[in-house]
Amino acid sequence: MAMEVGESKGAMKDPNVVPLIDVLLVLIIIFMAITPMIPQGLDAQVPQPAPPNQKQQQQLNERTVVVQVAQDGSLKINQTAVSWTELGPRLLDIFKVRAPGDRVAFIKGASNVQFAYVAKAIDIMHESDVEKVGLLTKKVEEGQ
Amino acid sequence: MAYKPKAGATMSTPNVVPMTDVMLVLLIIMMVITPMLQKGVTVDMARVSNPRKMPSANKTNAILISITRDGGIYFRTTKIPENEVTSRVRDAIKDRLNKEVFIKSDARAKYGSVVTVVDDVRAAGVEKLGLLTEKLTKPQPGPPTLGGG
Repeated sequence: MAMEVGESKGAMKDPNVVPLIDVLLVLIIIFMAITPMIPQGLDAQVPQPAPPNQKQQQQLNERTVVVQVAQDGSLKINQTAVSWTELGPRLLDIFKVRAPGDRVAFIKGASNVQFAYVAKAIDIMHESDVEKVGLLTKKVEEGQ
Repeated sequence: MAYKPKAGATMSTPNVVPMTDVMLVLLIIMMVITPMLQKGVTVDMARVSNPRKMPSANKTNAILISITRDGGIYFRTTKIPENEVTSRVRDAIKDRLNKEVFIKSDARAKYGSVVTVVDDVRAAGVEKLGLLTEKLTKPQPGPPTLGGG
């Protein structure tokens, strides 16, 4: 079967391809591991304007929890300042007494703050029992 | 040195050359496919400790809006001006049940530019957003640390 060219030195007849195969196998395995990366992310809601016949806005307002990320990266829950480490426990405290369907919080960020800060805050919120995180935007606030 | 069986010399080692050929082809196929699998443009995403898996963001018809560090907005892979976001998204979700839009923002993009996009997406009637992030391997308390900055 094998084609044999030249009869000079038996040891040099064909190149040793076994190391090559080893390298290729490793490369294939690396590529296979990289390929099926499932994207990951954080869920967020954008509140849509309520239909005009709904009248529960007023009641919602007192209970609304808004987490604010200021320009310097500091945090506030409604009007009280909290540190990054306190945010989780404080939210847990607030939402402990709420029914599971009612655990909604909003997040608002200064426009100069980097997205990573807001993402981290949303992450902490998800971690501390907040089921739905709403993004407060300028138009959302105006619309209400 | 080597153990020499009595059988014919042609069968002493398996012929690995065809296998090498197959592997090379597989390798090349994978190398070609890998960059194609990435959706949107490449941005340095924020790292968070407990993101949810979002396999639907990988579908070909997923609506993915990327925001780069300098505030550029990309709809899938095409750069679009900010005032086109609403119409593009509205077109894309027109005949769809699952009105979910994915936003892939650079960690260092200004939140202001993200919020403008969110506002535009909201105007198109989308309620559910997915903010794509990466998984943080070592969770740390406190404000996020940005690598290299």
